Amino acid sequence: MPRSSHALAILGSGLYSKLPETRVLLVGAGGIGCELLKNLVLTGFGDITLLDLDTIDLSNLNRQFLFRKKDVKQSKALIAAKTASAFNPAVKITPIHANIKDADYDVDWFSQFDIVLNALDNLDARRHVNKMCLAANVPLVESGTAGYLGQVQPLLKNVTECFDCLPKPTPKTFPVCTIRSTPSQPIHSIVWAKSYLMPQLFGEDEEDGGTELDDAEKQGENADEIASLRAQAAAFKSVRLALRDSTPLEEAARKAFEKVFFHDVKTLLSMADMWKSRKPPLPLNYDEITQVAASSAKENGSSPSVNLRDQKQLSLAECLELFIASSCRLALRLRSGEDTISFDKDDDDALDFVCASSNLRSFSYSIPTKSRWEVKEMAGNIIPAIATTNAIVSGLIVLQALHLLRISYFASKATPPTATLRNVNIQFKPSAPLGASRIVPPNPSCGVCRDTYTTVHCDPSKTLLREVIDGILGDGDGVGTGPREVSTYEDKRVLSDPDFDDNLDRTLESLGVTRGKFLTITDEDGDWATLAISICLLPKDHPVDGPHLILPSPTPIPPRKVKAAPASLKRPADDDDGIEISEGPVTKKARTNGTSPPHLNGNGNGTKTFLTKSPSKKQILEDEGLIIVDKDDDVIIIED
Amino acid sequence: MSQTESQDIETATTSLQTTSVAPDNKTRRYDRQLRLWASSGQAALESSKILVISGSGTSASVLKNLVLPGIGHFTILDPHKVTEADIGSNFFLETESVGKYKAEEEVRLLKELNDGVEGVANTSDLATILKNDPTYLTSFTLLIAHNLHPELLEQLSSLLRSDPFHPPLIVVRSAGFLAEFFIQFHEHTIIDSHSETPPSLRIDKPFPALLDHALSLDLSKLDPTDHGHIPYIVILVKAAHEWKASHDGRVPKTTEERKEFKKYLQSLRVKADEENFEEAEAQAYRVWAVTNVPSEISSLFNDPILANLTPTSPPFFHLLAALKTYTEKEPHTLPLSATLPDIKSDTTNYIHLQNLYKRRAEEEKEEFTKILVANPVQPQTPIDKGLIDEFVRNSHGLKVLRGEKWRAVDQDSARLKEASQSYPSHTAIHLAFSAMAALELKGVQVDHTTPAEDLKSEAAKIYGPFEEIEEEIDNAIAELLRAPNADLPTTAAFLGGLVAQEAIKIITKQYVPVKGYCVIDLISSTTSVIGA
Ligand SMILES: [Zn+2]
Repeated sequence: MPRSSHALAILGSGLYSKLPETRVLLVGAGGIGCELLKNLVLTGFGDITLLDLDTIDLSNLNRQFLFRKKDVKQSKALIAAKTASAFNPAVKITPIHANIKDADYDVDWFSQFDIVLNALDNLDARRHVNKMCLAANVPLVESGTAGYLGQVQPLLKNVTECFDCLPKPTPKTFPVCTIRSTPSQPIHSIVWAKSYLMPQLFGEDEEDGGTELDDAEKQGENADEIASLRAQAAAFKSVRLALRDSTPLEEAARKAFEKVFFHDVKTLLSMADMWKSRKPPLPLNYDEITQVAASSAKENGSSPSVNLRDQKQLSLAECLELFIASSCRLALRLRSGEDTISFDKDDDDALDFVCASSNLRSFSYSIPTKSRWEVKEMAGNIIPAIATTNAIVSGLIVLQALHLLRISYFASKATPPTATLRNVNIQFKPSAPLGASRIVPPNPSCGVCRDTYTTVHCDPSKTLLREVIDGILGDGDGVGTGPREVSTYEDKRVLSDPDFDDNLDRTLESLGVTRGKFLTITDEDGDWATLAISICLLPKDHPVDGPHLILPSPTPIPPRKVKAAPASLKRPADDDDGIEISEGPVTKKARTNGTSPPHLNGNGNGTKTFLTKSPSKKQILEDEGLIIVDKDDDVIIIED
Repeated sequence: MSQTESQDIETATTSLQTTSVAPDNKTRRYDRQLRLWASSGQAALESSKILVISGSGTSASVLKNLVLPGIGHFTILDPHKVTEADIGSNFFLETESVGKYKAEEEVRLLKELNDGVEGVANTSDLATILKNDPTYLTSFTLLIAHNLHPELLEQLSSLLRSDPFHPPLIVVRSAGFLAEFFIQFHEHTIIDSHSETPPSLRIDKPFPALLDHALSLDLSKLDPTDHGHIPYIVILVKAAHEWKASHDGRVPKTTEERKEFKKYLQSLRVKADEENFEEAEAQAYRVWAVTNVPSEISSLFNDPILANLTPTSPPFFHLLAALKTYTEKEPHTLPLSATLPDIKSDTTNYIHLQNLYKRRAEEEKEEFTKILVANPVQPQTPIDKGLIDEFVRNSHGLKVLRGEKWRAVDQDSARLKEASQSYPSHTAIHLAFSAMAALELKGVQVDHTTPAEDLKSEAAKIYGPFEEIEEEIDNAIAELLRAPNADLPTTAAFLGGLVAQEAIKIITKQYVPVKGYCVIDLISSTTSVIGA
């Protein structure tokens, strides 16, 4: 077949003949994903599963070449698969329009693939796939781009570093008071508009919006400031209502403006203490601004070229006008049936609103203003992206994938030859466009790839936590390490520890340890490595009267820890440390003062969670968008 | 909802839509790349005309990455028809394309990617055009040739070298997992190189308004909050001034003195943890690091074009001449940049300082403009304000590159020897490609049956005795001969990205392009630049 002649000459018949049956999972059908899918099809791969959560946006078309203008708003995975299949119908491409973190994509599902290729743009999903590939023992090629820069990394369990071996940079943090009352930089105004004002006006009605303030009060924060913030919150109710009921749109928008930029600022000003050493903010007066605008309207006769419209710095009056217009458009959407509207960088109404309100706030606080273009970049965390970098990266991914497959198909599992594997960086140097380095072995203290992975198949509604723990630990006489003192976790939630056994006789389901999740067992004395047990369902043909739990065979025995350092997931020592009480990923924080953290049975759910001292845990919290700021001892959510 | 109300809403929203500052669809489409090269770069792309010679898979990959970001026009020049063997390795050909002109099929499919781009297929043959219509070739902005026969390449590169106003040429050669490319250009000037070195803050040579501001502050009288908000720039200017007053006008010179200066900075703190003072200490070197014209910029002043400036010289050189005169005057620096780095400070102080820098930068730009219009040689058409602005703003990153002819390095074995010291295996790959071209020039058709010895002896004629790179030469030739004419999709995809990237740098005159031969070994995923 002529299609194959070149590839055959280069790859050799051994590897080449394997490619049609090689099962590839490609996660992401964006910039890298489109390129990669094309390369895979051209190289001779024959069985590709393509998964992506997103739909196509106009701003994708400058690089995601499998999409056309007519495809905008459709599923990326479906359209990409359709376009690429037309090129070579012999290739089986299975598109899935879903989130890779869904429970359906558990370890059993990952195990069916020979190789996984990441073409993702967010840290959270990349870490998730990294962990799933470790659990399923599938080689992974990791990649990413930012403008002209890019990076490709082949990951092979126990041989190379994993994605989490090196700590990732944490997002910037802002104290809550800086955002709420004392901004000093454009980014503060933007975060306020996007993460505070927008949800307040157009987001979900926060019934318990006051609890955060209650907590703050209990912790002895400035009582005046809290009282004023509380009054602010109450006034939001009437504005929210006006935006939603039959109040004329412009009147509702004006009401919102006056509440936020006039009355709230006035209230803040009344706290003289705050402004002793700071320049006080200026309340914005609706009538004054519109009058000034009317009298100077004729001066700005020349309109900027269409192309640069959004790069213009807006005047105070233009910001006001944009605030009213965008608020009306958003309010109209609420009145036409949308429940809530949250910030999305590709939603023009939302972006106009955030642009207008952040700049109004900046005017009020004498902070430099930003153009809509700049606001979009800052609020949307936009990373520049071009076709060229994606093409380079995708070429390199295929090469690393071929090297990994050559190892899995032909090399000895005990001592795989790694000489051909490379971590490659596309760099900013005209003298050396690529920087390649040999692979690095796993970081011995990595909290992800140094865990011992195993899988249980079970019915989570019938299986008790105790059954899993006892089964995995075994009797120590041929099975497992034998009983020992352990703590168990699901993600960051503590389910049990040696002093807390309330949950042991509850089902996994009632504890939220369901399909696709990991149950983590840490050794209380830090003698054994951590066990990460992935939860899968019973096989389809499992007899109805069969056992509800199938343990792995043989039972895995984690390696003994070399260092006697306490396990990173251990409970913190008794000191002035925070504890979290949580059911979901978002936490509210209380404080204990030098006393032992009580065992809390939160909301009848019976689980409890400690915010541990370990920096790696803090890191995980930060990566998930929970920003903990020491100064104000508070939590704000910046990005999800 | 009543009818009147819904009408209200309708009229309200129609008028509301006009108040959006949302950009047009074109700006949206290019949003992610405009953040790299701005609208000036996009305008350059949109007015460019690219000629790609040969309709190979690599050519189509390069073009894909130029059509997507929106070049103005492309032509594919290829007289061949699509064969069975072309299908399957080239995404821009279909099974139904077999028997049709390659250029026409590829243009059709590439144009689907972006309806703002014009594409033309030219099915005539390069040899004929070179003979009958060379001005057709020189009318493009940029030419890209993939795996072109060296005889035609030689003619083409000579044609394009024959006049300094002829367009640049990117020569691309690939075989299996090996590849190289070379950009032939006359002179390439870059105003916005996106330099990563920030311009000087001129703390050692403070302009009068900055010095006055620094001296007007009495640190000891500030309340502790204000004290912690004074930007480190101001602290250093003030401290340096005071130090000089008590040290015969000298800045700290010896290690001892520098330590003493830092101690002096510490003594100014009112609290142990003042971040602005920590920053001042970390940045203290700026007091004794002399701001003058960076050597990369002053070396441009010796450019031969400056000595023979004429009204038709490119605007860049008129601006450069003015810059030269500018730096000959006190304080012997480049014009001040208005941008400040991130600084520990509060809004009021930061904005005040920023305004001082902005005002001064504006004044220095005025000064520069005066010099420009007073240049003894004036450009044919006056230089517009926007360009002056851009030039002054980026004056610390200006670049002038001078290129050479394709294969010039192969006539200079000393440079090849030098390259082989640093990059033995990549130099060997380059030599293997050059040897293949040499054989082809002799009329030999190189394929996998060509004896390695034949290539080796051609390589030796170029390089001389191989000595320590003999093994690399043998490996490179063996790898090349596995598939000397294979246009492998993975390599094509990779090369398509890399070559298009360089083409964009050349067209936009932003960022610094590769100079010399970029040699690529995709087995080891490595690249080197040889003969720069
Ligand atoms: Zn790891």
